[in-house]
Amino acid sequence: MELWDQCLAAVRTELRGQGMAEVSTPVRVDAPAVEPYIDPIAAPPKYLATSPELAMKRLLCRGTRSIFQISHVFRRAEIGAQHSEEFHLVEWYRVGTTELDVVQADVERLVAGVFAAAGGTPPTKWMHVQFLNLLAQHTGLSLRGDESAPVLLETCQQRGVNQQLYLPGTTAMFADTTNAVSEQVATLYAWTELFSSFCDRDLDPWLAKLGPVGVHISGFPAVLAALSECSEVGGRHLAHRFESHVFGVELANGYRELRDPQVQANRFAVVNGLRRQLGQVSLPIDKPFISDLTSPGLPACAGVALGLDRLIMLAAGRGCLADICLDVAAVEPAQTASR
Amino acid sequence: MDVSDLRKNAKLQIDGQPWIVTDFQFVKPGKGQGLYKCKLKNMISGATVDRTWRSGEKLTAADVESRKMQFLYATGDAYCFMDSATYEQVEVSEDLIGSDSNYLLDQLDVDVLFYNSRPVGVTLPSHVVMEVTECEPGVKGDTATGATKKATVSTGYTLQVPLFIKVGEKLKIDTRNGSYVERVN
Repeated sequence: MELWDQCLAAVRTELRGQGMAEVSTPVRVDAPAVEPYIDPIAAPPKYLATSPELAMKRLLCRGTRSIFQISHVFRRAEIGAQHSEEFHLVEWYRVGTTELDVVQADVERLVAGVFAAAGGTPPTKWMHVQFLNLLAQHTGLSLRGDESAPVLLETCQQRGVNQQLYLPGTTAMFADTTNAVSEQVATLYAWTELFSSFCDRDLDPWLAKLGPVGVHISGFPAVLAALSECSEVGGRHLAHRFESHVFGVELANGYRELRDPQVQANRFAVVNGLRRQLGQVSLPIDKPFISDLTSPGLPACAGVALGLDRLIMLAAGRGCLADICLDVAAVEPAQTASR
Repeated sequence: MDVSDLRKNAKLQIDGQPWIVTDFQFVKPGKGQGLYKCKLKNMISGATVDRTWRSGEKLTAADVESRKMQFLYATGDAYCFMDSATYEQVEVSEDLIGSDSNYLLDQLDVDVLFYNSRPVGVTLPSHVVMEVTECEPGVKGDTATGATKKATVSTGYTLQVPLFIKVGEKLKIDTRNGSYVERVN
């Protein structure tokens, strides 16, 4: 209990110290974030939020201040040592800044603050790496970031990258000629699959070997932009997005936020197309959010979502979320039942 | 079943064989597919393999059931067991029993594994107690040297025992390797 008290206070001190206002948006939402592999928990007639992102962006459309929130979020069927169906996201948006290094510095301060509050030994240093460069180094796949699914499969073949290991689902999708898939859906699927395989086979083991450091990974392919802005950089089509990993554990995800309502609506539609292709229910689109992007419009901003439970787990020197969970029922089932 | 229903001890049917999940790990990059990393044990052969499934994949649950049964008798090429609760009898073919027949005493309690309602394996208790029917005469001597002699027990099984064991005595035997454990009084 003391651990959480100290850590929550440290988060608030850090973000308030940066001039941000704390907000609290509803836990139940009409339309959760539309992601291919994040499933909401239904709370009819609404959903439990999988992230406070859309609600906070709607506030940003109406105000001028940078804001932060410590929110409870829910993701169905994510259960493991470092996954839980309910967890806390610290999410913040800096208005007037689109530079990712500014919010990366926020991440570093927040990590340092929480480690200090928990009495843990913080990362010895922070490294900056580029996703597409790492992909090329580890697999030999040198990519622009906007290749279509057939081009990805062909490039794998040319480079001697095992398609069954890296793109099994995509290979199967194209082997089934009765299955007509839109090009955008197939491309999102192929890149997501390549990303997941690469994380599992190459990136995570590499990060684990780096020792007690923090790593910001940026330079993600445009296809995996999610809700971030994209542009062409040095001949590559990149998303202005980063992930922060500490001690090999994925902790935070940050964007230069996408402001174009048309592009945003299209991305949601493609994700829903992929969800249907995978036999999952498509999710409702947050139309008021799209409408707010049109008018009054989202101010130029950069934002980050950080998994607080994982940060506290690391700061407390533990390897499992259950070790730091304040759910008394989960930690002491027998004792609670006898009350 | 959906891959997201995977848990430790889940029973799956893969290529016509029943497998049990003995170890289970869920990993997922925030913006990627979930990976379900499992260690599986074949419920018939005991073989183990590692398998990883991805979000969205579909699996088939295996229809397997373990029932407490008692050994009744052996026919020429089969062994007959009776369900201790329902008195239902089933025959298990000789090749599934193999060398376990060495320990099948009348009325021995065992677990019989059924897959798609067919018996596919028998799990013995880890130890059984059997009477010595034949052995060389007892020799008084230095037991510290660990000298042994041959003895035959009631099922006809022959094993090495310490020199002090006599006909009519009962032995505790480890069914996993067939070795003598101790004399039971």
